[in-house]
Amino acid sequence: MSAAALPPFRNEPVLELRRATERATLAVGLGELRLPLRVPVWIGDERRDGEELVSTDPGRPERIVALAASATPEEAGAAVAAARAAFGAWAATPVHERAAALLRAAAWMRERRAGLAALAVRECAKPWPEADADVCEAIDFLEFYARAAIELQGGDGPQLLQVPGERNELRYAPRGVCAVIAPWNFPLAIPMGMTAAALATGNTVVLKPAEQAPGCGLRVVEALRAGGVPAGAIALLPGGGEAGAALAGHPDVATIAFTGSGAVGLELLRTAAEVSDGARQLTRVVAEMGGKNCIVVDSDADLDEAIPAIIESAFNYAGQKCSAAARVLVHESLHDALVERLTGAVAGLQVGPADDFGTDVPPVVEQDAQERVRRYTELAARTGDISTGMSDVPDEGWYVAPIVATGLPPESPLLREEIFGPLLTVEPVRDVDEACDRIDALPVALTGGLFCRNPRTVAHVIARSPVGNLYVNRSTTGAMVGRQPFGGNRLSGTGTKAGGPDYLLHFVEPRVVTENTIRHGLVV
Amino acid sequence: MTASDGSAHAPATLEAEIGRVGRALHDAFPSHRGRPLKALDDRAMNLAAQDDELRAALFRFVDVVPACRSLDDLAAHLTGFLDEVGDQPPSLRAAMRMGDTRAGRAALGAAGAAGVRHMAHRFIVGEHPKAALPTLRKLWKDGIAASVDLLGEATVTAAEADRYAARCADALATLAGAYDRLKEDPVLERDAIGPLPRANLSVKVSALTPLLRPEAPERGQRDAAPRLRALLRQAHELGAHLHIDMESLDSREAVLELVLDLLAEPEFADGPSAGVVLQAYLRDSHDTLDTILDRARSTPRAQPLVVRLVKGAYWDHEVVEARQHGWSVPVFERKADCDANFEALTTRLLEARPLVRVAIASHNLRSVAHAIARDRMMGGAAGDVEFQVLRGLGDDLGHALADSGLRVRAYCPVGDLVAGMAYLVRRLLENTANDSFLADQAHGVPLEQLLAAPAATAS
Repeated sequence: MSAAALPPFRNEPVLELRRATERATLAVGLGELRLPLRVPVWIGDERRDGEELVSTDPGRPERIVALAASATPEEAGAAVAAARAAFGAWAATPVHERAAALLRAAAWMRERRAGLAALAVRECAKPWPEADADVCEAIDFLEFYARAAIELQGGDGPQLLQVPGERNELRYAPRGVCAVIAPWNFPLAIPMGMTAAALATGNTVVLKPAEQAPGCGLRVVEALRAGGVPAGAIALLPGGGEAGAALAGHPDVATIAFTGSGAVGLELLRTAAEVSDGARQLTRVVAEMGGKNCIVVDSDADLDEAIPAIIESAFNYAGQKCSAAARVLVHESLHDALVERLTGAVAGLQVGPADDFGTDVPPVVEQDAQERVRRYTELAARTGDISTGMSDVPDEGWYVAPIVATGLPPESPLLREEIFGPLLTVEPVRDVDEACDRIDALPVALTGGLFCRNPRTVAHVIARSPVGNLYVNRSTTGAMVGRQPFGGNRLSGTGTKAGGPDYLLHFVEPRVVTENTIRHGLVV
Repeated sequence: MTASDGSAHAPATLEAEIGRVGRALHDAFPSHRGRPLKALDDRAMNLAAQDDELRAALFRFVDVVPACRSLDDLAAHLTGFLDEVGDQPPSLRAAMRMGDTRAGRAALGAAGAAGVRHMAHRFIVGEHPKAALPTLRKLWKDGIAASVDLLGEATVTAAEADRYAARCADALATLAGAYDRLKEDPVLERDAIGPLPRANLSVKVSALTPLLRPEAPERGQRDAAPRLRALLRQAHELGAHLHIDMESLDSREAVLELVLDLLAEPEFADGPSAGVVLQAYLRDSHDTLDTILDRARSTPRAQPLVVRLVKGAYWDHEVVEARQHGWSVPVFERKADCDANFEALTTRLLEARPLVRVAIASHNLRSVAHAIARDRMMGGAAGDVEFQVLRGLGDDLGHALADSGLRVRAYCPVGDLVAGMAYLVRRLLENTANDSFLADQAHGVPLEQLLAAPAATAS
């Protein structure tokens, strides 16, 4: 089987939720969800159940979603050892067989879409449309990387210069054990994406899901094993920071694939840079971290289009996406109109549980997050003007009100620090160049947005924009596999692009073989 | 095809009648405007219809005009868009050179803005209802009723929804007052069922609430209901007709349920006259019609619901949205399939009278002739079916229909240029679409061909 033998990649279509019949399928999925899940430390065929780690519904914290074992450092070591033992056989498995296992995992997920989405609704308070999209994206990663791996490793490799009497070949070999350290905000898609990339190219994986989302992590591993990935090639290591640190510091981990906060990511990079005695390999880190994403609104923008897109970018999933918009930099001529319409629109946002189709802003993931957002909100109220939703915020659950903050001092931490919640700042600028200067002053560069209709201005901003993903005249969230390869620059990440054509290169090592084909003066 | 499609038992007679009706209507077209596009002498539109890149540049320019801060800014946008047209005709190259100097830019900006205003005035009858009255009176004198549509910016806040509702209330009062003073016109004021209101306002639910969410239709319904209920009450008091427009599929469920639910409330059993829209380009439009007819049957009202049958104005949007999401395309992608569906729905609607009143809104001579012929064969009298045209696009057809003694209503948008832009762009798209009936007509496609039965894909 070659990549050409597979139908071309296409994105798994999200449900058409404007139709009542499709909404009904999700309600059925939720009704069939049996909680709590039990999530083991799962190494090879060994499962150790436990209840040290508990994930709960952010909208109803007394509802337990998963009871998980929390991996000890010893278990982290055992998982790496098992993955290392399984590496030879998995790496030697022909790439098309590995790809086929991933495609079967995709089919397994496709058959369970409603149930998987329902789990993301419960465990991470992802509202339905986003939960459904998360399942689709996980399927997309499987389908996309399966094809990409065949492309990368299934043929003769890239063309090299050939001269008479020698044969040159470039091949991409898997690197070894990959530790995947995943976030909770795309609880199925991101762990599956990083894991699928590593597995497709022949690496073995130890997956540590976020401690807030062990249930979703379990489903990722179940899908892969159901698809035929050998038990040794994929281990599940639920746990907290200690398990993650033990993994990251393990000398037999060849690659760390991480998506999460900047603080943790930088710590992983430091750890990985430390070459321990007896190390046989330099640890590579693929890291996707935070941002401070800005949307620039030029004087010719159509606010009818810009306002809904800004609302979506800043407040969907309560702003808890690394791509979410945090700052709006608007041309001074439109500032007042934009603020009036934006605050009016925010006033209509409904804060509520994730399983309500009418919810605009679900709860944030945990109490710490609620307290953090409230601290920033108080700071905004103290140092600027804030405006919020009119609707009540439920008492129970980790709810916070959506906030628009204006009139903040230029040095405000609110304009610099990642809040990861539904808090959006607005500041006027003289022109797009002033906006570009302010964006350029940030140490992070993940996503950006631009609302502008002059093609020359658009080209100018594109040229000046450092971000990994720039969106022109649309929302800044919702990157699609194969369409918007995703990842940040500067301190936002290692510049890798998930769901893009070159992502798999981070999970392989290139090997060149040059063979002399001359014997006794003859080219043989 | 539905059982009600009469073509199975009377094809030859029906086709012959459609031919006769169509030729008669065509002959009744005002002679100096036999070809609408040419008569309008809009070379930019013709040029645009022939060149996709130029068409895109023109639309982007029209769209951005209200947002430009100065003539210089206008010219910068215009040359920026034209820059992206690969094969520039000489006239465009001249325009581009004008962009090089300040004086040239001012002239170019002024010319561009004037062009857009000129186009806008063709479709938009006035900045506010009072300003539209002279046009509306003239239409009435010509035997044409109107439905006024208030153009507005998108509604994203509750305050904007309130403002739109207030504008609608004001328009209802203005129209009711103005139409009271007009001369009686029996064709426009009565059908076999009874009297018809003179004043007629079309409203959009998307403007009555900022909370239309495709995946949560009940939110928009709940939020829009009080505003729409107040307008229905007012229309009832004034004896005016309130028509609720349909927009994209994203809001169909919310709009339809809202309207049917409100009209079923006891206080509206005696009125007002109200209407909904059925979009023939939707593949599931027969199901929607089932819903409408079921509800009309279960909640009888003194003034039957008016169903306006249209092709649908969001074709590009529906196709692109479906393609981007990997959904099956909800609209017919072949014009002939859409035309055939329009005729099938026409037949069903005509047969459903007097449960509903029927308004056929089309500029397609064949579709209109089909409705007339079908109605005649069913024994309908002139006036038992209404025909609707868009001001600026269907003027000639409207006059021809009125001159033939039929009841005609022109859909007349009212509003300023900024607010009217989305409407204007949709109309321009329609006008320059290669497969539009108007384009065929303008480019001299023979009448026999224009009147031929749509060759629908066998299903």
